[in-house]
Amino acid sequence: MASRVLRVAQVAAQDAAPIDGLDTGLGEGPLALVVMFVSPRADLKVLSRSLQGWRPGVPVIGCTTAGEIGQEGYDEGKIVAVGFPAGEFAAHVELIPDLANLQPQPLIDGLIQSRAALARDYAGFENECAFLMVDGLSTREDALAAALAPGLGPVPLFGGSAADGTRFLETFVLHEGSFRRNAAVLALIRTRCRLQVFKSHHLTPTPIRMVVTEADPARRIVRRINAEPAALEYARLLGKDPGQMTPFTFAAHPVLVRVGGQHYVRSIRQVADNNDLVFFSAIDEGLVLSLADAGDMVDHLQQALADLALNGEAPGDILACDCILRRIEARERQREGQLSCLLRDHRVVGFSTYGEQFNAMHVNQTLTGVAFYAPEGAG
Amino acid sequence: MTARHLLNPADPPLRQHEKLLEIVEVLMHRVETATDHSGAAYAQFERAAMLEEQVRERTRDLEQTLDLLNRTNARLAEANSSAEAARKNLSDAIDAVEEGFALFDAADVMVMCNARFGRHLSDIRPLLVQGLGFAEYVDLVSRSGHLQLAEGETPADWARLRLARHHDPHVIFNVPLIWDRWLQVSEHRTAGGGTVILQTDVTDIIRTERLERGKLLDDQARVVRATLDHISQGVCIFDADARLVGWNAQAATVLAVPLSRFRLGLAFEDLAERLVDEADKETDGETDEETRASLGMLRAWVRDRPQPSALHFEMRRRSGMILDAFAREIPGRGFVISFSDVTLERTAIQALSRANETLEARVAARTLELESALANAERANAARTRFVAAASHDLLQPLSAAKLFVAAIADDKARPRTLDAAAKAQAALESVETILAALLDISRLESGRIAVTPGPVPLGPLLARLVEEFAPKAAEKGLRLRLRPTGHVVVSDPTYLRRILQNLIGNAVRYTESGGVLIGTRRRGRGTLRIDVVDTGPGIPETEREAIFREFHRLNARASASEGMGLGLAIVERAAAVLGHSLTLHSRIGRGTRFAVGVSLADAGSAPCPPVDIPPDRIEGSSLIGLLVENDEDIRRALTLFLEGRGVSVLEAATGEDAMSLVEEIGILPDFLLVDSRLGDGMDGLALIEAMTARYGALPLRLITADREEGLRQTCVARGVGLIYKPIDTRALERFIVQVGEIRISGGG
Repeated sequence: MASRVLRVAQVAAQDAAPIDGLDTGLGEGPLALVVMFVSPRADLKVLSRSLQGWRPGVPVIGCTTAGEIGQEGYDEGKIVAVGFPAGEFAAHVELIPDLANLQPQPLIDGLIQSRAALARDYAGFENECAFLMVDGLSTREDALAAALAPGLGPVPLFGGSAADGTRFLETFVLHEGSFRRNAAVLALIRTRCRLQVFKSHHLTPTPIRMVVTEADPARRIVRRINAEPAALEYARLLGKDPGQMTPFTFAAHPVLVRVGGQHYVRSIRQVADNNDLVFFSAIDEGLVLSLADAGDMVDHLQQALADLALNGEAPGDILACDCILRRIEARERQREGQLSCLLRDHRVVGFSTYGEQFNAMHVNQTLTGVAFYAPEGAG
Repeated sequence: MTARHLLNPADPPLRQHEKLLEIVEVLMHRVETATDHSGAAYAQFERAAMLEEQVRERTRDLEQTLDLLNRTNARLAEANSSAEAARKNLSDAIDAVEEGFALFDAADVMVMCNARFGRHLSDIRPLLVQGLGFAEYVDLVSRSGHLQLAEGETPADWARLRLARHHDPHVIFNVPLIWDRWLQVSEHRTAGGGTVILQTDVTDIIRTERLERGKLLDDQARVVRATLDHISQGVCIFDADARLVGWNAQAATVLAVPLSRFRLGLAFEDLAERLVDEADKETDGETDEETRASLGMLRAWVRDRPQPSALHFEMRRRSGMILDAFAREIPGRGFVISFSDVTLERTAIQALSRANETLEARVAARTLELESALANAERANAARTRFVAAASHDLLQPLSAAKLFVAAIADDKARPRTLDAAAKAQAALESVETILAALLDISRLESGRIAVTPGPVPLGPLLARLVEEFAPKAAEKGLRLRLRPTGHVVVSDPTYLRRILQNLIGNAVRYTESGGVLIGTRRRGRGTLRIDVVDTGPGIPETEREAIFREFHRLNARASASEGMGLGLAIVERAAAVLGHSLTLHSRIGRGTRFAVGVSLADAGSAPCPPVDIPPDRIEGSSLIGLLVENDEDIRRALTLFLEGRGVSVLEAATGEDAMSLVEEIGILPDFLLVDSRLGDGMDGLALIEAMTARYGALPLRLITADREEGLRQTCVARGVGLIYKPIDTRALERFIVQVGEIRISGGG
């Protein structure tokens, strides 16, 4: 088994003194960064207060989740903390406070300077990546990812949209002890550990396609498909009763768009009462959508994790953003346990998201993250 | 791919049409606005996705390129590092070696050299740097003040020779430097055509070697010196110019030259002269010729060198000393002469040789004495033989005549007194005859000149006849004489075996007073038969058992002379010894004696000898004519009387010639011949028999002789001539006459 590079601690969301348990779990030694995945059941005010003065100088960031991936795989109602040891890692944290009024240019400038400073200060840490957590109900992920890309240049970016269980009410990102909405937090990471940023999904297109004939792109709402109310037409194409549409229906039957020879998932978040379809990601009028066919999740995950081996060496730790729809599908298909074991065995930590970011893109229904490997020569 | 799913088949056609129009409208709008720069979210996603795709491809390419570059870089770095390390190692190694080292590349340009290279040539050392050409290097060296050039050699010469060597594949040579220093220079070709030059300081080696060689020579010289002084020979060693280079004290001693005369470089001729002078001095100017000749020979040998072989000679000095000189060449054209004093050896040899001569003379004298003794012995023996021959002839001849006369008396019609006297005379004569015969036998056996002819002898008839012979005497004494019949055939001489047994049986009968005599045979082991003569006589005392075999020894002196002179056992013992028969005696006083003769059994298939004679049945000589040839008148007369008494008409002749003419004259062929072997000066008996037989064919005949010679007997056997020995056994003669008569009767029918 490859040696671990990250430290992981977790406590129950209702823990009266969560920081104590996490502190113990993360252990001694300086950390460059702590990331917390917080169940929406946690009392954010208490947590926020507890964080005051904890481990001074160590940036702590995080977000709310639709479920955590902890030491035992899929989990719920937990606070999972991931510590990046200072011996192997260096981090710079950037808060993007107002997503509604995103100013790309200052953001880009700031990122370039920060990256340069980090590279200068930690020249010995050769590998770098960027980790983004963003308000999952802001609908600004596409714009944000596009804006970050020029600032990051060659640095690979991965991230997840903060979530609120399956309630879709409010999602937060954590920065300097504060849980914020309409915001994103970005960590620039340099490390001695080799790393690999990845994105994986288990969907393939079918010949069944449809055309969006009326939409509200700003709110990611499709009103009509094939000149019919969207939900009814979607149900007709699936051969299902519109009245029986559930999140599992969406999870099992997402749609795909084809851009530049690749298919990207457009996940449906919910059906509105007026038969509108609300999406997790950007849509537009005139889009051609293909129905997707899902393969076996367990086989797929196993393969995806095995593929992460670098020259035969398994990753020491994996930080992952896993789409909530995958978890729903797994639960419906009764694969959650098997997937959970796979995640545990491969030391995957992270959370269930409302969407994932991969480089300049916002995508759905994927497992996106980074695999860290033990530093070369570290044995 | 199909758009079929876009329409709901349940819709009426009009509705379907409207829907299609609406879809087309949306699509057309999207196509038209596709290129507009729009801040709309989906457009951003779309651009990001497109970009992502391009970036992904680029990144992939880049990654591959980068990876390749990295790997190449890594290999390059590795190669650089190992090259650097190798260069460093090489440089370190080169500096570490003791030798001067320089590497020239294939173009003969110096690539590198170490600090020791050229350090012996300090004046040019700073000029030996990278980039220097090989020719320039050689030129620099040739003009260095440290180089020791050979006499008359210029730097240019040296450089030319040095460059010439450079073309050889492998070069190694020593360079002399000033101050007696030496540098060994070797060139090696590298695989790339370059040249490596190694300079090794061999000064110490050469100096040490020089010292060692000197020391070795000194050591050898000492060893040779000690060896020379040790040996007893005088040794002089001369070089190629015949000058003395080595000698030992012994040389002065044996050559009688003062040691002070020996000096290094002394010419051989001087030494030779000196030797002659010394010899002259020693002998007052008269050097003996032998020494002079020897020295001359040696001088010639030395003068005419090289010599294929060594010279070896002896020198005799007047003082008596004898020198053994030996000269041979040695490597380097010189020669060595050694002198050994062999005086003692020679003296010893002479003494030995003198002793040998004395011994030979004594042996010769002794041999003469022995020869004389032998001659005496032979003469004595011959005299005895002659006596025996004379006795046998001269004594037996008259005895034979006497017996015949007495026999003739008995035949006449004489008075009883006369007859009695005649009988006694006959017995006395026979006794004399017996004694004589025994004496002759002893004599012959003693002389060893009898020849025995062993052959198969049937024992049965022999023993039977003997028993018959002694039967009358035994009967006379009242003894039982018994013979156990035997059919064995043994190997022996019939005459002597008979004589042995005759004596034993005769003794037994003679000395036994009562009881009897038993003759028998007994097998003893394989191939051996014991013939026993057992009597019941008085026995022979222990003390007498050796003496009885001596001549003239008689156990019982009572016996009359007529019963023998005690010669019997002496004859038995000697005859048995001659025949190789064992003789054993077993006797108990008062009980009797047993004599046993051990003889070998003949093979089964051996033919027995013919019987010696046949006993007469009756005397029948009437009407026979016999020719008697006898030169002794007495015997002729006596024989004629005897024959006529048996009715034979006798023709008498004294010589062979008379006999031949007599037969011729009367014209009658006699029925038998009786011929004496000795007939005076004319032809002898055998010659007459031969002549008669040749003329008239085979006739019955007997040769009468007193000659017991074996040669005559064998001649007679070979010619089929029967023999009657003198003194004539009248019974044998009677048997012959009877035989002739029978032949005539059967022949005449």
